[in-house]
Amino acid sequence: MSWQKEWRGYAWALGATALCALLGLAMRERFDLVNVAMVYLLAVVIVALRYSRGPAILATVLAVATFDLLFVPPRGAFTVEDAQYLLTFAIMLAVGLIIGRLKRDVRLQADEQAKLEATAQTERVRSALLASISHDLRTPLAVMTGASSSLAERGERLSAEERFALARSIYEQAREMSERVAKLLQMTRLEAGAIALERDWGSIAEITGAVLARLREPLTGHRVVLELPDDLPLVRVDAALIDQVLSNLLENAARHTPIDTVIRLRARREAHELVISVEDYGPGLPPEDIERVFAKFEHGAAEARPGGMGLGLAICRAIVGLHGGRIWAEKLPLGGSAFRFTLPLEAPPSLPSEPALA
Amino acid sequence: MTTILLVEDEPDIRRFLRSTLAAEGYRVVESPTAERGAIDAGTHKPDLAIVDLALPDYDGAELIRDIRRWSSMPIVVLSARHQERTKIDALDAGADDYITKPFGVGELLARVRAALRHAARSPGGQELALGPVRVDIAKRRVLRDGAEVHLTPIEFRLFAYLAKHLGMVVTHRQLLAEVWGPSHVEHTHYLRIYMKQLRDKLEADPVQPRYLLTEPGVGYRLVAED
Repeated sequence: MSWQKEWRGYAWALGATALCALLGLAMRERFDLVNVAMVYLLAVVIVALRYSRGPAILATVLAVATFDLLFVPPRGAFTVEDAQYLLTFAIMLAVGLIIGRLKRDVRLQADEQAKLEATAQTERVRSALLASISHDLRTPLAVMTGASSSLAERGERLSAEERFALARSIYEQAREMSERVAKLLQMTRLEAGAIALERDWGSIAEITGAVLARLREPLTGHRVVLELPDDLPLVRVDAALIDQVLSNLLENAARHTPIDTVIRLRARREAHELVISVEDYGPGLPPEDIERVFAKFEHGAAEARPGGMGLGLAICRAIVGLHGGRIWAEKLPLGGSAFRFTLPLEAPPSLPSEPALA
Repeated sequence: MTTILLVEDEPDIRRFLRSTLAAEGYRVVESPTAERGAIDAGTHKPDLAIVDLALPDYDGAELIRDIRRWSSMPIVVLSARHQERTKIDALDAGADDYITKPFGVGELLARVRAALRHAARSPGGQELALGPVRVDIAKRRVLRDGAEVHLTPIEFRLFAYLAKHLGMVVTHRQLLAEVWGPSHVEHTHYLRIYMKQLRDKLEADPVQPRYLLTEPGVGYRLVAED
């Protein structure tokens, strides 16, 4: 690749000086020699800007030689007086080299800048992670430590109800915490590229059914309305991962919308993809959150009490991306938000008719 | 007394399982390694085994294959979250059900009871009740609200295999091999289509089934009323 660019540079050097010669010949009658030299200088600058040092030197040599031959009297020959054009040559060469150098410096600086920015980004994510862990994991840990030590050390002084309540809160906090740790691990694995898709023909309706059965408890306060056409095509997906996407979207919808509102889960075919939406009738996302909610450790701006670590949607985005789909959020015209994702459709597999199989 | 073999290397997990199972009236035999588990399974002749899949010496799935060579005792595996593959391998090796760590004991005891019931059931013969649907496997008869429902031969074979493992998980591979034959084990779309047909015929709400349950990425489970 780079030697090709190198050769293209030399070709350009040749072409540019040839063009200058022609231009100079046309100018010769009406313009000073100095102006012709300027045209040559321009050619050298252009070659030096676009290509490496070699083509720049070639352009300089050719420029001085053709300039001397074609324009400096006596034309058609190099003479002793022409030694002064060594100075022209030196200046052109210097200009070419300086430009090459400047160009390299700029590029190095840009690289440096990009590296610094990447480091800063990693640093930001890391401190967000630490802040998130310390807040979201330490609170439940404090509850568990306190409640369990109370049971272990003071248990006999507590009434049966109090003991039961303490044990119950340890159980709930531990469950919540294990959810969070699982999300953290999942995000880490997705980012590290440590997850290989186990793709199989799957049915969105089937996965939805399993998700709704599992999320019965968190969804009790809402009415989930399904709009899944009966003839929805099968998709080639990792069902366990798509299960996580649907779970996260439904749990989010339940968490961020008032009790007793409707959550609508719909899927439809659109050209070569399936579009799956979770729509809610909550306050709706403020415009500044539409993109931001998919970032790691981000919560909606208006979110008073974040219910998680802000990883659910980042996990969704990573999983949908692995499947070659897109995910985005919308504010619905009548209020509420929609989270939609697509899954590419593949040619449906054939199914032998039953008598042939039986 | 019902004996349960518990193969688990974490002493703290063994402790809470031991006290919970003992409180339910089970006798518990504990093995900290797969090797020990294989020996204890032979000497104690347990009625059921709970096997952790991440054992220090060798793979839990291998232990299951070992046990399956001579025993059909129900086996419930303990698996880590997001490890579908190891779970499926264990089920394909002959485990009957799984439970994902971390779990509450209520969930575990329900699985243990279901597995013991499954082992005690006489193979086939009984009538299944799925809400308004009655299925008599032996007579190949399905009634919904008293009216006959026609199942195609494949639908019936699929249902019968799930019914044979009532309450337990059956993997895609097992179902495909059993119903369509070993050369079709990759053809999961057959299952998606036939399971939908079965649900359309047998479930009140086919998308939110009560009896023909999906285990995403793993397989299916048929549950029925007692």
